[in-house]
Amino acid sequence: MRMKFFAVLGFTVAMGSAVMVFATPPAGSGSITGKVTYTGTPMKMKPIDMSKEPSCAKQHATPISTENVATGPGNTLEWVVVYISAGDEGTVTPSQGVRYDQKGCQYLPHVLPMLAGQQLQIYNDDQTSHNIHPLAKVNQEWNKSQPPGSPPIDTKWDKPEFISVKCNIHPWMHGYFVVLKTSHYAVTGADGSFAITGLPPGKYTVTAWQEQYGTKTQDVTVGGGAATANFVFTATPY
Amino acid sequence: MTLKKFAVTFALGSVGLLTTGATVSTAQSHVNSPDPLLGTPSIATETSNIDGITGHAESGKHLYRRFCIGCHGPDGNGQGMNAQWIDPQPRDFTEATFKCRSTPTGTLPTDEDLYNAITRGFVTTNMPSWRPLSPQQRADLVAFIKTWSPRWAKEKPGTSLNIPPETAITIESILHGRELFQKLECWKCHGPEGHADGPSAATLTDSKGNPIKPFNFSTGDRFMCGDSNRDLYRIFMTGLDGSPMPSFADVIQPNDAWDLVHFLRTLQVALPNQELTLWQSYKAAHGKDLKPIGPDSAGGAQ
Amino acid sequence: MSKKFREGADPMNTKWSRWKTVLTCAFLLIAIALCDIRTASALPTGKVMAIPAFARKYGLPCSACHTAWPELNNFGQVFRDNGYQLMNDRDSPIWQNPSYFPITFRITPSWHRETTTNQALDVPGTITGGAVGTLTQAGFDLSGMDLWSGGTLYKNISFILLPSSDPTAVWHFESAFIRFDNLWHTPWLNVKFGRFEIDNLISEKRFLFLSSNGGLYQIYHFNVPGSINDFGYGDNQIGVELAGHSANSYTRYSVSFLSSNEGGVNFTNSVTPGGAPSNRSYDVNLAFSQAFNAPGPPGESGFGQERIGAFAYIGQRPTSFETLNGNDLVGIDNKPFYRIGFAGDLSYKNLELLPLFMYGHDNPYLGQFGVPSNTPLPAGAQAPTFYGGFLEAHYYFNPQNVALARFEQIKVGQQALNTTQGSLGNITAVSFGYRWYPIMFSRAGVALDGEFSRVRTIGAEPESADGDGTVGVPGAAVWSNSIYFGIDFDF
Repeated sequence: MRMKFFAVLGFTVAMGSAVMVFATPPAGSGSITGKVTYTGTPMKMKPIDMSKEPSCAKQHATPISTENVATGPGNTLEWVVVYISAGDEGTVTPSQGVRYDQKGCQYLPHVLPMLAGQQLQIYNDDQTSHNIHPLAKVNQEWNKSQPPGSPPIDTKWDKPEFISVKCNIHPWMHGYFVVLKTSHYAVTGADGSFAITGLPPGKYTVTAWQEQYGTKTQDVTVGGGAATANFVFTATPY
Repeated sequence: MTLKKFAVTFALGSVGLLTTGATVSTAQSHVNSPDPLLGTPSIATETSNIDGITGHAESGKHLYRRFCIGCHGPDGNGQGMNAQWIDPQPRDFTEATFKCRSTPTGTLPTDEDLYNAITRGFVTTNMPSWRPLSPQQRADLVAFIKTWSPRWAKEKPGTSLNIPPETAITIESILHGRELFQKLECWKCHGPEGHADGPSAATLTDSKGNPIKPFNFSTGDRFMCGDSNRDLYRIFMTGLDGSPMPSFADVIQPNDAWDLVHFLRTLQVALPNQELTLWQSYKAAHGKDLKPIGPDSAGGAQ
Repeated sequence: MSKKFREGADPMNTKWSRWKTVLTCAFLLIAIALCDIRTASALPTGKVMAIPAFARKYGLPCSACHTAWPELNNFGQVFRDNGYQLMNDRDSPIWQNPSYFPITFRITPSWHRETTTNQALDVPGTITGGAVGTLTQAGFDLSGMDLWSGGTLYKNISFILLPSSDPTAVWHFESAFIRFDNLWHTPWLNVKFGRFEIDNLISEKRFLFLSSNGGLYQIYHFNVPGSINDFGYGDNQIGVELAGHSANSYTRYSVSFLSSNEGGVNFTNSVTPGGAPSNRSYDVNLAFSQAFNAPGPPGESGFGQERIGAFAYIGQRPTSFETLNGNDLVGIDNKPFYRIGFAGDLSYKNLELLPLFMYGHDNPYLGQFGVPSNTPLPAGAQAPTFYGGFLEAHYYFNPQNVALARFEQIKVGQQALNTTQGSLGNITAVSFGYRWYPIMFSRAGVALDGEFSRVRTIGAEPESADGDGTVGVPGAAVWSNSIYFGIDFDF
C-alpha cells in the first residue's frame, strides 16, 4: 500500500516537473497597467551641443536634450522600465531579436529592455563612426568600432544586468541595455504609462527602474483582468 | 648582571617582540582572500600555464603581498595605499578586464597575455617591468591574479588573434593606411597627426569614469602593449578593454591592418623607424599633393 | 644554578658552552613556531641605503625592492643597476609631481649594552693601571643620521648625495657621486664618479644589523695586528667605476679605479696642522657575479634565485712620507696588498644564506711601522696574511618579519713578525637578530630591531672599538658582547 502511494506521488511529481520544464508558460489574459510619476523637483535636462559632429547636428532642427530624467506633462517619467521581478513561472527566449539604433548621434531607443540570451542587433545609421561600448560589470564589457556602412553588430547578453552604454567618440551619447530574466516588461512613454500584458493569474512583484532614481517595488495580485500599479519616484534636482 | 640574566632578558624581550609582530595584523599589508560566495577560483588549486612552466596561486599570493599590494591593493581592486597618487590607476583584477590581450574584445586574456604584461610592464605608467623576477615567479603571479574574479571560474579565455605575416613596408602600404586612418576616424580622438588632440580627445573617460587621454604618437613614448609592429597590430584589432579604444577586428581586413600599422609608425616622429624614413622622403617630394586628414576629407592623394 | 652553567657564564671561560648554544638555537626555533606566515602582519598601518623617496616616486611598496629594507632583492638590484630607473619612459625628474622631493632621513634611537672583558684598568684609587677587568656600558643612545638624496637628474643620469652624521652631528659625505647610465643604450656600460660604496656582492651598507658588534662584518675591516694598512672592504672609497649588468642583473661586473687613501677626501697637507696626508697612488677593485634560478621539485615553485660571485681588491699603501718639519705630506714608497674571495646570495624559499670567504695578503713592509720600502726589513718580518669569512642567514616569515643569524671566523695566516703569537688577532663572532617592520608604507618605514652579538678577539681589541683600547692580559682572549634594541626610522 505504501509502495503504491509513493509510486503515484513520484509519478505525479515527475509529470508536474515535466510540465513545468517542457511546457511554454501559460499565456494569461491578465495585465498590469499604471503610470509612473514623480514628486519634488527633477534635474533639468540640458540641450546637447553636437557642433563637434556636424553630420549629426544637422539632423536635428532643434538640439535634443539629455535624457537621464525624461519627464512629461503631469509630472510623468519617460523611459522607466517596469517588469515582473518575482512570480513569473519560467520564460522562453523569443526567437525574434531586439534592435538598437545609433541615429543622429543618439541611441534609439534610449533604454532597451530585453531578455537574457535574446539576440540584439546594433545598427549605425549615421555618416560618422561610432564605437559601441556597453559598460557591463556582470556580463563582459566590450568595445567595438562601427564605421558608417558597416553591418549591424550581432550580440546577446547572458546575465540580467542594467548595462550603461556609451560612445567614447561622442561623449553625450548615453543609453541602457536592460537585460532581464522575464519577458513581462514594458517601458513608459512620454505620458508615463505602461502596460504589461499576457499574465496568468497570480501574485507578482513588480519593479520600476529609472536610471537616475533607482528602483521601486510593489506586490500586485492579478486576477483574470487588469490590475493597476502606479509608481511614484522622489525626484531630486541633482 | 651576569651573562645568564642578559640572556634571559634578551630572550624575554625577543619573545615579546616576536609575539607582538606575529599577532598584530592589519588590512594594509595582508592579502585578503576574495569572498568565496562570489565563486572565484580557489587559491589552493588555481594554476597557470606558460611555455611549459606551471604557476601556482599559493606561491603567487606571497609574491603578490611583496610586490603588488602597494598599488593593486589587498583586495585586488586597484585600491592599494599608493593608488590615489597614481595615474593611470592600477588594474582592478576583480573585473577581469584587461587592456593588453591577444584575444577579442570582451573575452578573457590568455595566461601568456598576463605573463607578457607582467614581464614587459607598461611604459609611461607606474607598472614596472617585472623581468627581474624569475619566470616561475611571474607564472605564479599570473595564477594568483586569476583568483580575484569569478569570471576565471566560469569562462574560458578568448581565442588568440591570428596575425598573418607582415606585409612589405612600402609607400603604397603607408598611403593606404593613411586612408584607413581617415576613414575609420581614428583622428577624432588621436588627432590628424596623432597628437592626441582630436575633437573627442578632451572628453574621453575610461570605464570607471576617470579622465583618460588617447595615445600621443609624437612624443617618443613606446606603446604600453609592446614595441613591435605585431604588438601595434594587436592593439587596434583587439581593442584596449576598459578604455575608450575599441576593437576594429570586425571592420578591417588583416592585410589592411598591416597598412594601418605602417602608417601609424610614421606618426611616431620622435622614435626613428623604417616607415618614418620612407614617409619623410615621400612627403618631401609629394607632400603638397596629400589631402590633410580631418573632417570632410578623403585622406588620400588628390 | 648548575656548575656547568656557571662555568659557561664565566666571561673568562674560553670554551663555548653547549648550554648557551642550545639556548640561543631554541629561541630561534620558538620564533619560527610563533610566527604564522598568514597572520604575522603589522599595525596600521648609518650607515645604510633604504630610500622611501623611490617608493613615493613610483608608488611601489618597500618590499618590492627590498627583501627587508635596507637589503635589496633582485628587482631592487636591477633598479639600482639601471641608475635608479624603472626604464618606463617616466624616470626623468621632469615627469615627477613637483611636490615630490627625493630625500630620505634615517636615524635609529636605541638602547644597548656592551661588555668587554680583559681590559686594562686602574687599580681603584691609583692612576697607573695594573688591573684587568671587564668594562661595561649600557644606556640609551642615538645612531648617526643619514640625510640621503638620490635618484635621476635626467634620463640615464643618476646620482646620490649622502651627507651623514655621527651621533654628535659631526657631518661628512658618506656618498656623493654622479653616474652615467646605459651608455650607448646598453646596460653593460655605466660609469660612476665620486665617493661611493664599492661593488660588494654582500653589502655592509644595506645589511640588517645595527648593533656595535653585530653591525659590521668582521672580515670587511680586518687587518693583521701590527699592519699599517688601514683598508676596509666595507668602507666607501673614492674614484671612478665602470659597471655593467644584464637586463635582469643576473650577470653583473664592475671595475673600479680608486685613490689609495681609504676614501679620504681632500688633498690637504699638514703644513696646516690637522690635515691628513694624501697619497698619489691608486687601487683597483674587481667584482663579478652570476645568478640563476634554482628549480624545485616538479609541481612546486622552485627554490629561488641563487647568486655567486668573486671579487678582488688590489691596492697599495705608502710606507713613508714626504715631510716638512716632521709633518707628513704625501705618501710615497707604496707597497701592495690584496683581498680576494668568493661570496654568495643563496635562497631556499623563505631562507636566505649569505656566505663569504676572503683571503687577505699585505706586503711585508705594510706589516712594519715606519720602515720605508727602500730599507731592509727587520729580521722575522713576513707578509701579513689572513683568511676567513662569514655565513649569514635570514629567515623571512613575511616581508615584515625577518630573523637573522651570523657566524664569523677569521684566522691570521702569517703574523707581521714570525715571533708573534700565531693566534694573535684571530676573531670568532656570532650574532643573532630580529627585525619587525610594523609600518612599511611607501612613504615611511619603521623597524624594531633586536640583536645579540658576541665576539672573541685573541689578544686585541674588538673591531667595534668597545672597551678602553688596551688589552689587559696580552695575548689572551677579549670577549665583547652587545645587546641591542633599536627603533629604526626611515622616511
